[in-house]
Amino acid sequence: MAGRFFSQLGQTLLISWGIITLLFLLTRTLPNEQDLLARFASSSVPLAASAQQLQVAQAQARHRLGLDIPLFYLTQADVSEAPLAPRWRWTGTQNQYHRWLSKLLQGDTGQSYRTGEPVGELLRGSLYHTVSLTLLSAALLAGLSLPLGIWLAVSGRRLALATLFALDTLPLFVVALLLLLFLASPDMLALFPAYGLGTDAVSFRSAPINYLSYLVLPVASLVLTGITAPAVQLAGALQVEIKKEYVLAARAKGLSAAEALRRHALRNALLPSITLLTDLLPNLLAGSLVVELIFALPGFGRLLAEAAAARDFPVLLAGVGLVVVVRQISLWLAEALYLLADPRLRNRPA
Amino acid sequence: MRLLPSLVLLLVLCGALTGCTASTDSADTIRIRWPSDPETLDPLLVSSPQALEVINLLHCSLLTSNPEQLQIVPWLVESLPKISRHDSLTRLTYQLRAEATWDNGQPVLARDVAFTLRVMHCPGLPTEFARAQYGFVQEIELDSADSRRFTLICSSASPDIVLASGDYSILPEYSLDPLGTLRAVPLALLRTDTAEAVRRHPALRAFAARYRQAQLSRHPDRLPGCGPYRLKSWESNRYMVLERKAGWWANRLPKPPPWLQARPEKLAYQIIPDNTTALLALRRGSLDLYPMPTARDFTAMRASADTARLAFYTADSYDMLVVGFNTQRPMLRTAATRRALSLLFNIPDLMQATHQGLAYRSVSLINPHDRLAYQDSLPNLIFSPVEARRQLQLAGWQLRPAGGWWNGKIGPLALRISYHAGATEHETVALQFQAAAARIGVEVQLRPAEAGLLQQQLATGDTDMFIRKTSGNPFAYNFMPLLHTRGIGLINYSRFSQPAADELIEAITAEPSPERHARLLKRFQVLLRRESPLVVLYFTRNRLITTRRVTSVRTLSVRPGYDVLSLQLASAKP
Repeated sequence: MAGRFFSQLGQTLLISWGIITLLFLLTRTLPNEQDLLARFASSSVPLAASAQQLQVAQAQARHRLGLDIPLFYLTQADVSEAPLAPRWRWTGTQNQYHRWLSKLLQGDTGQSYRTGEPVGELLRGSLYHTVSLTLLSAALLAGLSLPLGIWLAVSGRRLALATLFALDTLPLFVVALLLLLFLASPDMLALFPAYGLGTDAVSFRSAPINYLSYLVLPVASLVLTGITAPAVQLAGALQVEIKKEYVLAARAKGLSAAEALRRHALRNALLPSITLLTDLLPNLLAGSLVVELIFALPGFGRLLAEAAAARDFPVLLAGVGLVVVVRQISLWLAEALYLLADPRLRNRPA
Repeated sequence: MRLLPSLVLLLVLCGALTGCTASTDSADTIRIRWPSDPETLDPLLVSSPQALEVINLLHCSLLTSNPEQLQIVPWLVESLPKISRHDSLTRLTYQLRAEATWDNGQPVLARDVAFTLRVMHCPGLPTEFARAQYGFVQEIELDSADSRRFTLICSSASPDIVLASGDYSILPEYSLDPLGTLRAVPLALLRTDTAEAVRRHPALRAFAARYRQAQLSRHPDRLPGCGPYRLKSWESNRYMVLERKAGWWANRLPKPPPWLQARPEKLAYQIIPDNTTALLALRRGSLDLYPMPTARDFTAMRASADTARLAFYTADSYDMLVVGFNTQRPMLRTAATRRALSLLFNIPDLMQATHQGLAYRSVSLINPHDRLAYQDSLPNLIFSPVEARRQLQLAGWQLRPAGGWWNGKIGPLALRISYHAGATEHETVALQFQAAAARIGVEVQLRPAEAGLLQQQLATGDTDMFIRKTSGNPFAYNFMPLLHTRGIGLINYSRFSQPAADELIEAITAEPSPERHARLLKRFQVLLRRESPLVVLYFTRNRLITTRRVTSVRTLSVRPGYDVLSLQLASAKP
């Protein structure tokens, strides 16, 4: 059991490292050295600098950001001067990747290109709001999908099922905008705030009701678009289990239909839901980007989107790295929960 | 399932409670929408329009612009500088206002200006932009008899350097370098030999470390300014609140001009990325001012029932939409081909489609409002595929029976038009051009690209044609980066290079007499039309929506499109 645990942990770490390395190399192949020129091009102040001054400034900026050294241990050599020379050149440890990885292993994720702030601080600040949003949504999804699934399995309401499927087909941004237009608009019901978290230092600790009221529509958007899959999946699994003989035996022993379902069928039907529920957190994290943009919430999704648009690579890499790790942990968690829930899997050879 | 109604009830109660408490702190505050966070508020690193707007409220520079008459006016100084020329150097002598003080009451002195210039060039700081932009200031001479008087020695003879010499925020030496460790460092040495400067003055390294450690980008409260406002709070990606200083130095002036008067008590910038959400907030009264809504939203709102609660403003801006030809591409090398292709833009229809008419035409890069310099004898470009076909033939192109145009030496006429992916305005222009070109048999391929990629394509010349937005400048005309040979590889994306044009651009940059300057500009516009490296489609109008709660709204043709200092609340008006 312990061997299996460590082997899977090792795999998880290796995959995460592979993905982040690939992302590092991919992001650095994108053009980013024109940033300073772009800034001159968009400046409304008359440009007083000469072409030479601009090039010097550009070189200084690249040096400051550490972009003037080779990207990786192996760099493509310029073969135009010596056609017979090898195409690839070993650059040693003085390369961008080595420098970045060494710092990362020491817990230093670097500084944002845009603001100069430590990336760790930026991520922490943005996660504060996103975690409240996603955990609240995840808890509601888990809490609501269970009774909803049971109800659907027992009652078999087709209208409810059709409504859920219709909700599932709607993209998240449409649901979010519809909620906004129905529940935060002066033309309909202006029940909830339209954006943000208020101008005061509103936090869950200082003003929980006020804080929660700002989260109602964002959370509702995530719950409404995410509830169909777990509820319908559970209902389907329950309907299969109900027809099995062990449920019939339970009924024959005198249990009511509801009791037989709750005590016997539900545990077996929940197995596939484990995968869905462990996938929930990464999916909600992805969904939070849309919700944060529409409801003007400061959060992790928005930070990543803005970092990607502005080519703020340190923030982007750290953010995506975090998502990769969470995703890998959730997959690993799903496996562990499976082993716990189903004794048959534990005896299977690895 | 029985829990569900209770849950819904609880949520509705939450909403109702918020509704009651939401507007309690907005009585003396003007709330303005921003689409994104300013990101950094270090005056020397500032780049976004939002940051620039706030920096001009927290700090003062030597000069500013009179937003209504579009003139350069003195801000921290008493008057425009006295200019004298010695060989190739220009000396600009400034006198700081006697009233100008920092928040602690200490006067703003010439040594603060010298300190600011040294900080710009201090090694170890991310100030490359400022270093390049203000690198023409070679040295500063402080007047030993008057601590408020100083002279900037500049390497350029262009009249445009007057504005550039005074448009950076002045930093307080007393706060950032109380011991005056940078005073001994000559600016000329800092500019020319950084390594030697650090070797001779190790204090530079310690100063840079202190400056970086202060993280002024995110903690502007650690940097006192001499502007009319101070930062009250800033929650990244949420809001920023500025509060008017009770004892701002300009209040002591007997008759302060409008740019030295600050009316709003508090300004709360609300960061709302989504346009629909921002409009909803405005209609609900959670916002007071919405600058630059999309032209579609602006027109729709103006036609809606909300006009009783909202007010709508427009102002002619200096932003223009430009189409450029890569003049180094063999098929686009002749001006006649470029002129022929310019006739394929249906500009009036494009103005209507992209801006619902909230745009105006110009024959060149010069704004029609500059009556002295605008070449009004040039006719507007007409949309005429028939004439374009005729001119292509005159340019040596032949329509082949199998379709497509061919020029014996050059090959086929097949164009790729690059633009920013996701910019619907650019896409509309590209589609219209593609359709018009198809009518006369010219093949056009659309090439939308992500912003960074497009920038790279433009700088390396990997385009045939491009569409981009350009901001004109009402205070100066400097075509050196845009159309001079030396701008190729930098901002001269059309890669236009012609000795006559270079000479004319240099003459425009150096000409001090306004009349001769205007005449040169008119000649340049004629040359531009003849050579057509760029086609100006239209200038746009700034748009602004406010609630009726806000009064004294002054719209501007320059960014941010309104004069924030003049805004007043209806209840606060005397």
